[in-house]
Amino acid sequence: MSTRPPLTTAGDYRRPVTLGNPILDLNPITMLLSITFVAVVAVAVDGWVAPVVVAAVFVLLAFLAGKGRTYLVLILKLWLVVGLLLFVLRALLIKGETVWIPLGPIAVTEEGVLDGLRFSTVVMAICGAVTLFFTLVPMRRFTLALERLGVSPRASYVVLASFQAITDLGTTARAVMDAQKARGIETEGNLLVRAKAFFPVLAPVFLSAMSATEERAIALDARAFNAHGPRTSLVLLPPTAAGERVVVVLCALLAAAAITGGVLGWF
Amino acid sequence: MASNGKFATLMRGYGRLTLFLIPIGVAINFVGGQIALLLKLPIYLDSIGTILVGAICGGLPGALVGLLSNAINSITSPPTFAFAVLNVAFGLLAGYFGRLGVFRSWWKTLLSSLGFAFIGGFFGALITIWVFGGLAVGGGAIVVGALTALGLDVNTANFVAQIPMDVLDKVPTVMIVYFIIKGISKRLLVKLPLGWVYLGQPNPNKPAPVADSAKA
Repeated sequence: MSTRPPLTTAGDYRRPVTLGNPILDLNPITMLLSITFVAVVAVAVDGWVAPVVVAAVFVLLAFLAGKGRTYLVLILKLWLVVGLLLFVLRALLIKGETVWIPLGPIAVTEEGVLDGLRFSTVVMAICGAVTLFFTLVPMRRFTLALERLGVSPRASYVVLASFQAITDLGTTARAVMDAQKARGIETEGNLLVRAKAFFPVLAPVFLSAMSATEERAIALDARAFNAHGPRTSLVLLPPTAAGERVVVVLCALLAAAAITGGVLGWF
Repeated sequence: MASNGKFATLMRGYGRLTLFLIPIGVAINFVGGQIALLLKLPIYLDSIGTILVGAICGGLPGALVGLLSNAINSITSPPTFAFAVLNVAFGLLAGYFGRLGVFRSWWKTLLSSLGFAFIGGFFGALITIWVFGGLAVGGGAIVVGALTALGLDVNTANFVAQIPMDVLDKVPTVMIVYFIIKGISKRLLVKLPLGWVYLGQPNPNKPAPVADSAKA
């Protein structure tokens, strides 16, 4: 897997950071726009073939970026859990003229199957776009790119700190749960017993996290968090190459063609 | 003045601690949901952080917690984002209730769950109908599917299934929020935007309420 090469000399910090893959090194905003435009194609073109093709393109991109396995596992899980359920419910419950398999009060109809295929593939193509973006772009790079566009560093802080807090609080919660179990609080048994365990597990975790914010505020203030003026960062993003702009424009043209075609009924 | 954009202006009226409580609120939403799953409870309990931050910091920070929670959730499960507006509404309503002092007494808190459940159940059902044509994902979908199979039409099935489910979810949620607020130390409360409500003090911003000064 491609990881960041070690930074050895001070001069390395002045060069843009590379993730060792041309796709991964694209500017996050380029990536965001291109993926969005490609996803638009899936929505604009009627039928279930276009969304499936778009989803396949996303998988291909993930493999080219060297993140294929991670992405495939994530997206297959979504197809199985969300996509399949969306399809089956529609196929079974939407009423239509051409009944394929009658099942008592409900029936599998041609209309239901077609509607289910279209709807679930479109939702899955959109899901594919979202998961692809966040598989390829580390959150830090994304917030850094947004800061370059003028988004407040405070907003970046809130987003990045949220991810960190989820991990931290999750770990503490599990530790407290084990500690409370050791003190004799039942966490297994009937519903009432399990529900009663919820509060003693979570209250200490939440309360300590909240009182820690006070110290955090002071600590960050001491590190000039509230200072005005421009900021520097330890990591530099590569400048946007001309080729990247071409890619974005091409994707935009593709989306525009798909929308025009969808409206005029080319497909 | 890149470091002093709209976001900073928006948050200034809420004091400095609020900015640091938003990530904690997001994490509380997630961890609450995870522990509910771990204890195999049949409810979500994934909006504790939104309502808590709304109740102690105000509607806007609460709404931000809700928006951010759903945005982060949708990275791995994108359909979640369609329901972000519910979590935002929980935050705003919690801010309004907080200002009224609802979370100071347990029975008012208990009653407030009806408001949250109405938003979650009624508007949740509406979103399911509008965005997913009545057949969305999650545990509720199976119930809706079963009700439809029994002869109810899809729209009625959504309301019948979701409103009671949401009452069951929101009653424990608001009670946990109530007890957590009771457990917050006074020295922290005094620094929070709505801390005066819980310390039994008069509104320090009476001539200019917090929400208005934040907009200015």
